[in-house]
Amino acid sequence: MTVETRKLAGLAAIWLLLVAAPFWTPLVGGYTALGDRVLVLALAAMSVNFLLGFTGVLSFGHAAYFGLGAYGAGFALKFLAPSTPLSLVCGTLLGGIAGALLGLLIVRRRGVYFAMVTIAFGQVLYYIAFQWSSLTGGDDGLRGFSRQPLDLGFTRIDILSNETAFYYFVLVCFALLVAIMGFVLRSPFGRAMIAIRENERRARFLGLAVERHIWIAFTLSCFFIGFAGALYALVNNFADPRGLHYSQSGDFVMMAVMGGMRNFWGPLLGAVVFVVVQDYLSSVTVNWMSFVGLLFVLVVLFFPRGLLGFIGKRAAA
Amino acid sequence: MTQLLLFNVTNGLIIGAFYVLMALGLSLILNLSNVINFAHGGFLVIGGYIAYAVTPYVGFWGALLIAPPLTAVIGFFVERILIRPLYGRDPLYSLLLTFGLAFIIEDGTRFIWGAQGKPVTVPAMLARPLSMQFFFITGYRLFMVAAAIVVVAALFAILRYTRLGLRIRAGTLDLETVAALGVNVQALRSLNFAAGVFLAGLSGVLAAGQLGLEPTMGTGLLMPSFVAIIVGGVGSLTGTLIGGLLIGVASGLTAVFAPAASEAVIYVLMALILLLRPRGLFGEEGMLT
Amino acid sequence: MSGEGGASGASEAEPTGAILKVDSVSKRFGDLIAVRDVSLAVPRGELRAIIGPNGAGKTTFFNLLSGFFPPTSGRILFDGRDVTLVAAHRRVELGMARTFQITEIFPELPIHENLRIGAEIAAGYALRPWISRAERAAIQRKVEEILDIAGLASKAHRLVGQLAHGDQRIVEIATALTLQPRLLLLDEPTAGMGDQETYAVSKLVRALHRRGDLSIVLIEHDMRVVFNLAERITVLDQGRLLAEGAPAEIAANSAVQAAYLGEAA
Repeated sequence: MTVETRKLAGLAAIWLLLVAAPFWTPLVGGYTALGDRVLVLALAAMSVNFLLGFTGVLSFGHAAYFGLGAYGAGFALKFLAPSTPLSLVCGTLLGGIAGALLGLLIVRRRGVYFAMVTIAFGQVLYYIAFQWSSLTGGDDGLRGFSRQPLDLGFTRIDILSNETAFYYFVLVCFALLVAIMGFVLRSPFGRAMIAIRENERRARFLGLAVERHIWIAFTLSCFFIGFAGALYALVNNFADPRGLHYSQSGDFVMMAVMGGMRNFWGPLLGAVVFVVVQDYLSSVTVNWMSFVGLLFVLVVLFFPRGLLGFIGKRAAA
Repeated sequence: MTQLLLFNVTNGLIIGAFYVLMALGLSLILNLSNVINFAHGGFLVIGGYIAYAVTPYVGFWGALLIAPPLTAVIGFFVERILIRPLYGRDPLYSLLLTFGLAFIIEDGTRFIWGAQGKPVTVPAMLARPLSMQFFFITGYRLFMVAAAIVVVAALFAILRYTRLGLRIRAGTLDLETVAALGVNVQALRSLNFAAGVFLAGLSGVLAAGQLGLEPTMGTGLLMPSFVAIIVGGVGSLTGTLIGGLLIGVASGLTAVFAPAASEAVIYVLMALILLLRPRGLFGEEGMLT
Repeated sequence: MSGEGGASGASEAEPTGAILKVDSVSKRFGDLIAVRDVSLAVPRGELRAIIGPNGAGKTTFFNLLSGFFPPTSGRILFDGRDVTLVAAHRRVELGMARTFQITEIFPELPIHENLRIGAEIAAGYALRPWISRAERAAIQRKVEEILDIAGLASKAHRLVGQLAHGDQRIVEIATALTLQPRLLLLDEPTAGMGDQETYAVSKLVRALHRRGDLSIVLIEHDMRVVFNLAERITVLDQGRLLAEGAPAEIAANSAVQAAYLGEAA
């Protein structure tokens, strides 16, 4: 099997598993809603990886835009109109625009300084969501809204009560975003991003306006993760300030690392592992948090390339 | 009004002194090893709980003497075993590691001592307010500030006048050259880390006396430390010092006019600095990584 | 074409025919003066070598030229245009390309990808999410052309990180070529190389120069390369301009010899 065929086979396998999920997940002790969570969190992790794995930029505060996406969707459903597509748009815009603005401030920094600032900014937003309880519901989160059935004109899809229908809706959204992401990564823009990751100084001396490029990549990743956040609000019918906390950011980064940062599908694998492990652990022990922490430590020390990264290295051209 | 202002500014300075202790520890580690120690809050908690554990035997003063060094020792081993392998790699990994460590510490303390807050008794002589006029300045708070001043002064003195301090300062600027000059960089980093953790542990003991003790207190104090470093300028300990005091005072002052925003104001300060002087007050130009 | 004069504004084009004109640049780092009052002019199409003992400030000088950092004082004019404070990536757009002393390429990508990135950036496609088939073909042609010039065609699919040192350096030069520069700055292109590799790189540099539309300035330590290639040599010592002239003059210059005597070749 050539590398190409192997890649296609892998891709086909992934999609087959995803499409058939409502049928096989109950067989392994899971449930459809878990699939929703995996897809949405995978999307979030892929958005982070867009920046982390493909541009080499250490953004650790991305959950802020995820959370904003969730709140944006919630606000739209609660105060604007009972329309699912609108809520997705609002969430995406809120996350993306916030990211674009913050990006302007910090794009000249790099490395740990950049990470620190993104974390701090994420915390500002977390704090606001927490404190401004009249608007956001504070600690309890934003409630009182739910995803609305899709009115396609010729038919109505009840994604509110029909779990399976909703899963496929989430899958379609996932596919859409993944397609866009993949498209961008394969374009000249994407290649320039990779150049920055490989050797930023060289990229600059090839004539690339590095800061501008990073800002655009950052903004795009915030739009992507805003979309994921909006979806998440639809999954839960609820928006949570904890979604903005830097520990959530850490989870996304961990998913990307666990699955393999250099690989496009790595975060999906990482999300699957993470969600399953967390789900299982929290039902088994109260101290699941320390196990998650332990997982972080072990992966970083012994498995830094992640699962797919490990395989990819061996198959390098 | 002046009374209120004075109250809040003094309060702010006291809080600031505390932030300074935390932030300096974080800054020390960041400057030399390029590691963001997410577990710093966790070490604060460890310090507090160790103090809690030994107080029945040695009293508050004993705890104050024992807990920080003990925490530093723990920090030393953490650095040697967990963080050292990561130095050559992308800073992402040390970030994730300390992140995971923070989880482990928080949950660990919860496991050992329970999730409920623990009361920490402070010597009676410190608990009394100094006077009715300045009722808000309890002996304890004054003591906290005094302790902070002493420790910070000692830190700066060590950095300025000892060989170890010189090596740390040189290492912050150019670790490679320092290594080439024959200094044991591994040991230097470990010691430096332990020193930073010492400060965290000390903060923990002091905080315990003021705020009580519970497993999640570390994370709440971590963020202001970040902001202090960003405001003061990455790479400059003096900057961190000023930054910490500044945000403390800003917080105190805001409490006069808009109490609900007193925590938010430190982030506003940070945003201002990033807009107007991105390198921070004392930061160096070109601090890209 | 008469010389300078008649220029009204400092940033207006000066009809001197020099692709690069440096006016008294200095660079100071705190107390250390790395480059002190250096001036030079490189006529269009020349192959100039900059030599000098270690610590002479050669790489710092290149950093000033390429925009790595701004000079403390002085002016740099590229093709008549004042670029003293212009950002590095802008200078590349204007036609200046450089290579680095420590090979700076994209090690985990194959050679042709390295070149493709350069070509796409030079074509202005860096921000494009999509390019047409025709545009893609044009890029491909450019890449193949440069692969041929550099003699890399047979290795085009290999990862740069796995190449021999000499080949890596050639890839770096080739990548710089994709930018269609008018001035090529090569920082010690044969550093750390054995005879064969040195020969290959020299041959490439000479071939590039022969094509006629490229001015080249190179920093070199290997005197065989210098005297083989250079039309004119500038000597720096301790940040200052020590001498400048044709190779024969420089070889006979006693001050230059003295400057080098204190150092192990």
